[in-house]
Amino acid sequence: MHQPLSPPKKQNLYEVWGDTIDGRDLMLSIGIGAVVSLGAYFGAHYLLQPIVESAQMAKTYAMLVGVLGCLGAGVISAKLFPPKRDVQEHAADPAFREQVVADLLKEYGSLGRLEDLSDEVIAELRELELYDLFREAQAREEQAHLNGGRP
Amino acid sequence: MEMLMHEIMMAFALGLLGAVVFSAIGLVSGTDETATLAPLTMLVVLLGAPPAGVLTFFLAGAVAKHMTHAVPTALLGIPGDTVATALLGDANYLRKLGVPHIALRKMITGGAVAALIAVPLSVLFAVLLAPFGGVIKQFAPWVFLCAALAIAYFSAGRWASVLTLVPFVVVIVALQALTGHYGVKLSVSYFLGIAVAPLIASLFSLLAPGEREQMRRNEYRVFSLAPDVKGWSGYFPNPFKVINRRQVKVTAMAASVSSATFVFSPVAMTVIMGEVIGARIKQAYDRLTTVITARNGVTESTYIAETLIPLMAFGLPLSPVAAGPAAPLFNAPPRFWVDNASGQVNNLHNLLSTWDFLGYGMLAVIVAILVAYPFTMNFAHGAAAFVVRKISHEAVIATFIGLVLVIGIWEGGLLGLLVIVTVGLLGGFVARFLGFNTGVQFMGYYTAVLSVPAIIALAG
Repeated sequence: MHQPLSPPKKQNLYEVWGDTIDGRDLMLSIGIGAVVSLGAYFGAHYLLQPIVESAQMAKTYAMLVGVLGCLGAGVISAKLFPPKRDVQEHAADPAFREQVVADLLKEYGSLGRLEDLSDEVIAELRELELYDLFREAQAREEQAHLNGGRP
Repeated sequence: MEMLMHEIMMAFALGLLGAVVFSAIGLVSGTDETATLAPLTMLVVLLGAPPAGVLTFFLAGAVAKHMTHAVPTALLGIPGDTVATALLGDANYLRKLGVPHIALRKMITGGAVAALIAVPLSVLFAVLLAPFGGVIKQFAPWVFLCAALAIAYFSAGRWASVLTLVPFVVVIVALQALTGHYGVKLSVSYFLGIAVAPLIASLFSLLAPGEREQMRRNEYRVFSLAPDVKGWSGYFPNPFKVINRRQVKVTAMAASVSSATFVFSPVAMTVIMGEVIGARIKQAYDRLTTVITARNGVTESTYIAETLIPLMAFGLPLSPVAAGPAAPLFNAPPRFWVDNASGQVNNLHNLLSTWDFLGYGMLAVIVAILVAYPFTMNFAHGAAAFVVRKISHEAVIATFIGLVLVIGIWEGGLLGLLVIVTVGLLGGFVARFLGFNTGVQFMGYYTAVLSVPAIIALAG
C-alpha cells in the first residue's frame, strides 16, 4: 500500500485558489513572477523603442516579450518549488465501486435496467468488467422494491 | 488567387499556433478561459494578424482547450477550467468506478463531434438573425441592459445578483471616470480583473489573520492519478468506436440546441443540457457516459456559437463568451472598435464575409481536432502525471501574477494595475458570497460602457 507523503513540519501550508501552497514559496514565486515578467516587458520596451517605427507597435512587441516572461517566471518557480501534492497512483478499489453504485442509486433514485441497453453499451460494460457490478446492484434494488422498501 | 492562398496559409498557421498553445494550457487546472484566451487573442490582434488568422487562432484555441481540459478533469478529479466544473460530478463517478479513461475518451470525442456541428449551425443562425442586426445595433444599450438583467437573474445569486449589478456598475463607471481624468481608457484590464478575481480574493484573504487560519492545512492535498489504459492500436482512434450511435445523436442535438441559446452562460447551458439528457436515460452507466459526452460537446458548441453568432449578426459582444474570452474579436482598440454613440462597429463583423466565417471557422475546428484529439488520446496519462508532479501551484500563481502586472502596466500603467486589483477583489468576493458570477460581471462591464451613457442621456 502506498504510504501517504507527509509534509515537513516547517512548512506553512495553505489552500489558495483550489490547491495547497507553502506560504514562503508562494511569496517568493509572486516576487519572481513580478520581477521576471516586468523585467522582460520593460527591458524589451527599452530595447525596441529605437528600432521599431511606431511607438504603439514597440509597446505591443514588448507585451509579447512580457507574456513570454510570465511563462519564464512560471518555469523558474516550478523548478525552485516542488508541488505540495501527494500523488497516489493505483487502480480503483473494488469495495470503492460498490460505494459508487450506492451513491448513484441515491442520486438518481434508481439504477435503471440493463435490459433497456443497446448491445453496444452491454458490450462496453462487459469489456470494462462492470457488467456484473450493475447486474448485482440491479438485482438488490429489485429485491428491495419487492419487499416494499423494507430491507 | 495568390492573395487568397496566402490568407489561408496564415489562417492555418495561426490556427495551428492557437491549437498547440491552448492544448498545453488546457492541461493545467484552474487556467480560466478569459484570463488566457482574451489577452493572447488581444496580442495576436494588435500584432497585426489578418482578420481570418485572428478568428482561427481564437476558435482553434478555444476548441483545443476544451478538449485537453478533460485530462485533469477525468484523470485527477480537478476541473481543467471554468466550464469543466460542470463535468466534474460525472467524471468523478466514472473515475471511482475505475474507468477514467472512458470518461476522458467520451469527453473529447463529444467535444470533437459538437465542434464540427456547431460551426455551420452558428453560421446558419447568424444569417437568420442578421436582418435584425440593424435594429439591435440601434437599441444596443437597452439590449445590453436587458441581457445583463437576464443573465444576472439566471446566475446562482438570482435577485441578489440582479441588485448587485447596480453597485458593481457604479464601481466600473467610477473607475472609468478616474482613469479618464488622467486620459487613460482601459478595456482588457477590466476583463483580466474579472477573470482572475478568485485568485486576487484568495491572496487578500491569505493576508487577513482570521481568514488565514481557515485556509491553513496540515497535510499535502492527496491526488489519486488514474492508471493508464490504452484500448486501441494506432495514433488516431476512430471517434465512432469511442462513442455509440445514440451518444453521437444526443451530442449533436445538445450542440444544436445550445448553439441557438447563445445568450446564456456556457456553464449554465452545460449543466442544463446534461440534466435534460440525463432525465431520459434510466440505466446509470449509460446515463453517466452519455451525459458526460454531451456535456463536453456543449462546452465546445456554446463557445463557438456565442462567438460566431453575435460577431456575424451584430458585431456587438452580445453573449457571455463574446463579452469575456472573445472580447478582443469585437473590441481591441485601436484596431477593432465598437462605437456606442453612433452604433458603428469596425471588427471581424465587417472584415469577414459569411463564407469566410464558415470556411475559416471549419478550418479552425479541424486544425484543433487534429492537434488535440490524438494528443489527448495518446498522452493524457503522461501529461496529467507531469502537470501534477512537476508544476507546482506556486508556479501557476506566479505566471498569473506576471500576466496581471504586464497586461495592467501595458494598458494603463499604474492605473491599469489598480483597476485589475480593484475589480478583481470586488468581483472575487461578490462571486464567492453572492453567486454574482464572472458572466454577470462581464455584462456589468458592458452595462457600464454601453447602457449607462444612454440612461444618463435619457434622464437628461
